[in-house]
Amino acid sequence: MLKTALAGLRAHMFRLLLTSLAIMLGVGFIAGTFVLNDTVQAGFDQRVSADAGKVDVAVLPKGSGAVLSERVLERIRGLDGVTEAQGLVRGAAPLIGKDGKTVGNLPTTAVSIVTGPLDRADIVAGTGPGTDDRAAVLDDNTAKAQGMRLGDTITVLDAGKAEHRFKLVGLLDTGVDQELSFTGAVGFTTATAKRMTDFKGYREIDVAGTAPGLKQAVAAAVGDAYTVKTGHELASDLARAAGVETQMFTLGLLLFGVVAMMVAALVIYNTFNILVAQRTREMALLRCIGATRGQVFGSILLESAVVGVLASALGLLLGYGLATLTLTVLGAVDAPLPTDAGAALSPVTIATGMAVGLVVTVCAALLPARSATRVLPVAALRTHAEEQTFRAGLLRGLFAALFLVAGSGVTAVGVFVLEPGRNESLLAVMAGGSLTFLAVLILGPVLVRPLSVLVGWIPGRVFGVPGRLAVGNSGRNPKRAATTTVALTIGVTLMTLISVVTASTRLTMTAKLDEQFPVDYAVMDQERDSVVPRSVAERLRRAPELASVVQIRQADATIDGRHVSAGTFRGPVEPYVTAGSMAGFGPGQVALRDSDAERLGVQVGDSVRLRTERAGTVPLKVVALVDGNQGTLPSVTVAEAAFETYFGAVPDARLMIRIADGVPRERAREVVDAAAAPYPNVKVSSAAETRGQFDETLDMLLMIITGLLGLAILISLLGIANTLSLSVHERTRESALLRALGLTRRQLRAMLSVEALVLGLIGALVGAVLGGVFGWAAIMAMLDGALLSLPVGQIALFVALSGVAGVLAAVLPARRAARASITGALAAG
Amino acid sequence: MVTLTERRTAPAVVATDLTKVYGQGDARVHALRAVNVAFATGAFTAIMGPSGSGKSTLMHCLAGLDTATSGTVHLGDVELTGLSDRQLTLLRRERIGFVFQAFNLLPTLTAEQNIRLPLEIAARQADQALFDRVISTVGLTDRLSHRPTELSGGQQQRVAVARALISKPQVIFADEPTGNLDSRSGAEVLSFLRVSVRELGQTIVMVTHDPVAASYADRVVFLRDGELVTELATPTPQSVLDTLVKLEA
Ligand SMILES: Nc1ncnc2c1ncn2[C@@H]1O[C@H](COP(=O)(O)OP(=O)(O)O)[C@@H](O)[C@H]1O
Ligand SMILES: [Mg+2]
Repeated sequence: MLKTALAGLRAHMFRLLLTSLAIMLGVGFIAGTFVLNDTVQAGFDQRVSADAGKVDVAVLPKGSGAVLSERVLERIRGLDGVTEAQGLVRGAAPLIGKDGKTVGNLPTTAVSIVTGPLDRADIVAGTGPGTDDRAAVLDDNTAKAQGMRLGDTITVLDAGKAEHRFKLVGLLDTGVDQELSFTGAVGFTTATAKRMTDFKGYREIDVAGTAPGLKQAVAAAVGDAYTVKTGHELASDLARAAGVETQMFTLGLLLFGVVAMMVAALVIYNTFNILVAQRTREMALLRCIGATRGQVFGSILLESAVVGVLASALGLLLGYGLATLTLTVLGAVDAPLPTDAGAALSPVTIATGMAVGLVVTVCAALLPARSATRVLPVAALRTHAEEQTFRAGLLRGLFAALFLVAGSGVTAVGVFVLEPGRNESLLAVMAGGSLTFLAVLILGPVLVRPLSVLVGWIPGRVFGVPGRLAVGNSGRNPKRAATTTVALTIGVTLMTLISVVTASTRLTMTAKLDEQFPVDYAVMDQERDSVVPRSVAERLRRAPELASVVQIRQADATIDGRHVSAGTFRGPVEPYVTAGSMAGFGPGQVALRDSDAERLGVQVGDSVRLRTERAGTVPLKVVALVDGNQGTLPSVTVAEAAFETYFGAVPDARLMIRIADGVPRERAREVVDAAAAPYPNVKVSSAAETRGQFDETLDMLLMIITGLLGLAILISLLGIANTLSLSVHERTRESALLRALGLTRRQLRAMLSVEALVLGLIGALVGAVLGGVFGWAAIMAMLDGALLSLPVGQIALFVALSGVAGVLAAVLPARRAARASITGALAAG
Repeated sequence: MVTLTERRTAPAVVATDLTKVYGQGDARVHALRAVNVAFATGAFTAIMGPSGSGKSTLMHCLAGLDTATSGTVHLGDVELTGLSDRQLTLLRRERIGFVFQAFNLLPTLTAEQNIRLPLEIAARQADQALFDRVISTVGLTDRLSHRPTELSGGQQQRVAVARALISKPQVIFADEPTGNLDSRSGAEVLSFLRVSVRELGQTIVMVTHDPVAASYADRVVFLRDGELVTELATPTPQSVLDTLVKLEA
């Protein structure tokens, strides 16, 4: 008797442990996210606090693109109580890398580095440029990536694309400045920075001074056109701006935390249901000796609260550990985030973690606790638990149908009615998905048995008697099996959905790229007003390796006061005309992108008035509309000769090149590279490269999201382990009987493994179907003209892995079942 | 009846100096003390004794469900002592049938599936003639597709007996097969056991503490405190009761 009591207790502890683990993982993830966010924010605060000490007042222009003139600076310098005032310069100045080309996709940003008390630059190695106009500093990440060392000579292009050489004297940490960490930074003296960039004015003026009321004095002096902040205000604004992205990221992570907690809630719900079912007799005995229903209810809730508190506390520790680990990793890979502030569990994190863990646990235990109160005292006298019978009630069917219809309806609206790419469309699909999921949740117990027969068809044949028994067992307690598998379904649904969305995005984008990039190479520079000297195209045109070279030129202009990008082309262009015709395109004619024509409210045959730089306002007749999503023409296209009269001999903005038939790509690439070589700003890209970069980004995204969803899967596996260990416990007698009849230990283990396999596969299959359908719906709602791609291999892998994971979850319960002594089990009960 | 036991010379099961000790130290329980007993082939033997006298333990040791502390058990020409768990399992699968007091059937299987289960586990073909005969003898022909929950207690036990018979085991061990049944259903099951001994030549060893049940057997052996104390051939309910009363005194 003692033996069975001990065995019962052990089984019980095991189950509570699994539950605790589920909550622990969920809370740990959420707490870890908070700690990560806090640490990074603290790091940002730390970095800007130094600035706050240096700057007493800062003056900033209002509105993006606006600047502060020299006059404003002089006026501030003339104020009483101002000991020093410095204007900060910032502008594009492309750094040239070791390959002789400008670095990165965006031009490096040049900043001025001042001397004296207002020097805010964080020089991490070497020195600042001081007053040396031939010295420069680079941000440490760029220097490292380009292999540039202190003492090296670096080359930077000025606004006129002329090369200038500087001695690299120091390395700069870009700190919280997201723009600088994104583009890379090169620091000069103020004079050099003005010379290198297309200087129109300062981005900011920093003021030092001790006089009280300095801020007001400065504000009065500069007038309403500018924002005036104290050093502390500036610092906290900078920190907040830097933290915005971190917060978005945190929110994203928390979403995964919510999914994990949802799965954990299902696992907890199941566990307490199981515990209640298992202790029916215990509970009935309590009721026999006078415990009220309330007391029974309370005792279950108390138990869940204790589990919730303990697990949440452990979860907080786990979260702290996870965050520390993540920060270490982020620090090691030089992520552009401050990771050195020292992770800490803030009171808010502790309170949130505990509250989430406790509330989820107790809420999930509510229903089981209620069913515990329904145990009749006479149940104490029954010898064995009743077989769970389950009938698909009319009400259940009705509700499920209701949710299913509502879910499909809302999804259909998102897919077919609303415009793709809008937030509402995606929201509709998400709402439809949630409703459908509820329908599946309700229908779960009805679906389990037929699905287990379907899924178990092969294992039932491969594994003989144990297999067939297992398939029968898996559908035996439909409610429990449904809850167990639904927990897994959530994770697999999301994984499948994400992989369908990524694969479809890839397919759609590749198709679009092929349309928009109907060329082998594109040549342009990294700035918005790209400049490719005409000599490049002239040289390429002579190359026999190339079939065609198209030159596109562009200039800013206005039509009826609206800014447009006017342009022309030279070479064989495929214009994708949607209305009118471009045959005999010549002076006085214009082709508009359909979207621009709509914006301007004109049609083919109408006339527009284009304001040009050289020829004043000219009337043009609209002869054609071209598809904006396809082709490469500028939004307002005129004939080449006309363009020259309107805007002068503008250099090419970009070239589009096709290789001649039969020429190897490497050879063609060499020719194109050679033509671009004299101009460091002129870069060659190929469709394949663009696609490769895009692919990499998508793969990375898919990997990260799948990894994060792995947590939900892990928690649901705890649920499978839990359910199985209960089944083992409940079927001790049955297992003993089977063993007596000649089932070997191994066969008994196989039986439980197959049961787990079937449960895992059911959950995964339902998830794969849901994920596939809603992945399709999501991509249709997100992208216009989306093409569906079902990554069948990937989805099959998810399903197979879920099955394998289910089998792994069965290892411990199966071992316990196989170890049990036959006679002990026969005697017990 | 007497002639039956005498005709077969080689016993089906023989226990020699069989001893079983549970626990250690103060908690030591001698469930069996050097029991020597043989069970004749083709005979129906009952094991009787007061509660806790070691009946179930003896049966478990004889059937290879449990291992004895010392002594030997022979099932036909096989010695059970020293066999591994796997060997014992295969032996049970091939040569032994069981009928327990309760929980005899798998609730997920129909009566027919339950009956065929041992054959399936052993991956053996059922002898269809035997199957039909057993089914009609136990009167389950119209109950084959029912699940255990849809059967009465007596029917469930008859399914269990049919299952034990179908694999033609060397011995069937039954532990209180009628313990949970009313007397009418119990009588049905017992007569069926006796019929299977008579007509199929089945060897059956049955544990019981009911003198009426024991009277269906050819021979009754009596246990007390783990020792074999006496035995009775051609028992009647009255003679069994008398022996029990003598034992308790
Ligand atoms: N697993 C066990 N552990 C300890 N003692 C046991 C165990 N099984 C049986 N016993 C003891 O062995 C003795 C014989 O038990 P058992 O064979 O079940 O008796 P019966 O079947 O005649 O009622 C009893 O005293 C019982 O308490
Ligand atoms: Mg007993």
